[in-house]
Amino acid sequence: MSTIETEAGKIEAGKTAAAVFTASLVVGIGGIAHAAGDAEPGLPQLKVETWPSQLFWLAVIFAIGYVFMSRVVTPRIGTVLEERRSRLDDDLARAREASTEAATTRAEYEASLEEARAQAAEFARNASAEALANAEASAARAAKRMATKVGKAEDKLAEDRAEAESNLASVASEAAIAAAAQVAGVKATKAQADKAVKASAATLAGQEAG
Amino acid sequence: MASTGMHSPIEQFKIKPIFELSAGGYDISFTNSSLFMLLAMVVGGAFLASAMSKREMVPGRLQCAAEMMYEFVADLVKSNVGSEGRAYFPFIFTLFVFLLFGNLLGMVPYSYTFTSQIIVTFAMAAFVFVGVTIVGLVKHGLHFFTLFVPAGAPKPLIPFLIVIEVISYFVRPVSLSVRLFANMLAGHTMLKVFAGLAVMISGAGGIAMTGSLLPFAAIIGLTGLEFLVAALQAYVFTILTCMYLNDALHLH
Repeated sequence: MSTIETEAGKIEAGKTAAAVFTASLVVGIGGIAHAAGDAEPGLPQLKVETWPSQLFWLAVIFAIGYVFMSRVVTPRIGTVLEERRSRLDDDLARAREASTEAATTRAEYEASLEEARAQAAEFARNASAEALANAEASAARAAKRMATKVGKAEDKLAEDRAEAESNLASVASEAAIAAAAQVAGVKATKAQADKAVKASAATLAGQEAG
Repeated sequence: MASTGMHSPIEQFKIKPIFELSAGGYDISFTNSSLFMLLAMVVGGAFLASAMSKREMVPGRLQCAAEMMYEFVADLVKSNVGSEGRAYFPFIFTLFVFLLFGNLLGMVPYSYTFTSQIIVTFAMAAFVFVGVTIVGLVKHGLHFFTLFVPAGAPKPLIPFLIVIEVISYFVRPVSLSVRLFANMLAGHTMLKVFAGLAVMISGAGGIAMTGSLLPFAAIIGLTGLEFLVAALQAYVFTILTCMYLNDALHLH
C-alpha cells in the first residue's frame, strides 16, 4: 500500500469508526422507536428481502450509465479538450516561429549594419592613409629640393674657400719673398717661395695631424 | 413520541416500492432506491451531455464545470494509475459521477440516498474488488501473488506479513463499502435526529420554543458538513478504486 493510501486510510478509519459508532447508536434509537411502536425493528438496510431489487436496478442502471458515459460523454469531452490542446499547441508553435523569424531578421539587420560600419571605417582608414602618403611624398620632395639647394651652396662655399686658400698661398709666397729680401737680403724666386710655403703648410698640417 | 407523530430517524432509509416487479421468485420491484439511482445517472449524464452539446473552443460556465469534472477524474486516474489506467477511465468516471450525484441528490429534502444502502455500496466495492483482481491476474498471471509479499521485508517476518497483507487485501471491499455506507447513514441520521429534536422542543410551546434554535443551528452546520461529506466520499471511493487498480497493474 502506498503512503498516501495509508494516510488516507488512517483518516478514513477514524471517520469510519465514528460513523459506525453513530450507526450503532441509530440501531439503538431504532430499537427504542420500535419499543414505542413507531417503526419496524432494525435498520431498513439490513432487510435482506430488499436486496435483490437493489442489486438488480443497480446493475441495470450502472450498466446503461456506463455505456452512455463511455460512448457519449467521455469521448465528447475528450475530443473538445484534445482539440483545444492541439489548437493551443498550434498557436504557440506559430508564435514561436514568428518570434524566431523576428530574431533572424533582427540579426540580419544588425549584421548588415555592422558591415556598413566596417566599410565606413575602412574608407576612413584608406583616406587617411592616402593623405598621409601624399603628405609624406610632398615633404620628401621639399626635403630633396632643399638638399639640392644646400648641396649647391656647400659646393659654392667649398669653391670660394679653395680660391681663398690659393689666394692666401700666393699672398704668403709674396710675403715670404719680400720678407727674405728685406730680412736676409736674399733674392728668392717665386718658385722657391711657393715651395717653402707648401713645405711649411705641410709641416703645420703634419703638426696639427700629429 | 408516537403521539407527536415523529418519525424514527431511520425511517428515511426505508425501501418503498414504486411499482411491483418480480422475477425468478425474487422481488425486483422498482423502489425509491432504484428511482434515485436512475435519477443520479440521468441527472449526471444529462448535465454532462448537455453542458458539452455546443463543444465550444472557449467554454461557457456549464461546459467548464463538465470539463473540470472530466479533468478531475482524468488527473486522478493518471496520477494514481498512470497511462495504463486510460482503458478504465470511463468506468471510474461513471463511478464518480454516479456516486457524486447520488450523494448530492440525497441532500435534497424528501429524496432518497441510495448510497446509504450497504448492499448498494458493497455491490460496487465487490465489483471493483473482483474486477481489479481479475485485471491483476490476467496481466501478471501467478506473479500477481507477489502483491502479498511486501518488498524489502526481513525474511523471518515474511510469513506473518503475507497473512496480514492477504487479510488487508480481502478487507478492501468491506472497508470500501462500509466507509461510504456508514458516512451516509450517520450523516443523514444525525440530520434527522437534530431535526426531530428541534420539532420536539418547539412542540413544548411558549418561551421554551426558543430552545429549538440550538438543534436548528446544528442542522444548518451539519447540512454544510454533509455536502462536504457527499463530495468527499464520492472522491474517496473513486481514488481508492484507482489505487487498488494501480496495485493490480503495477504490483506496488
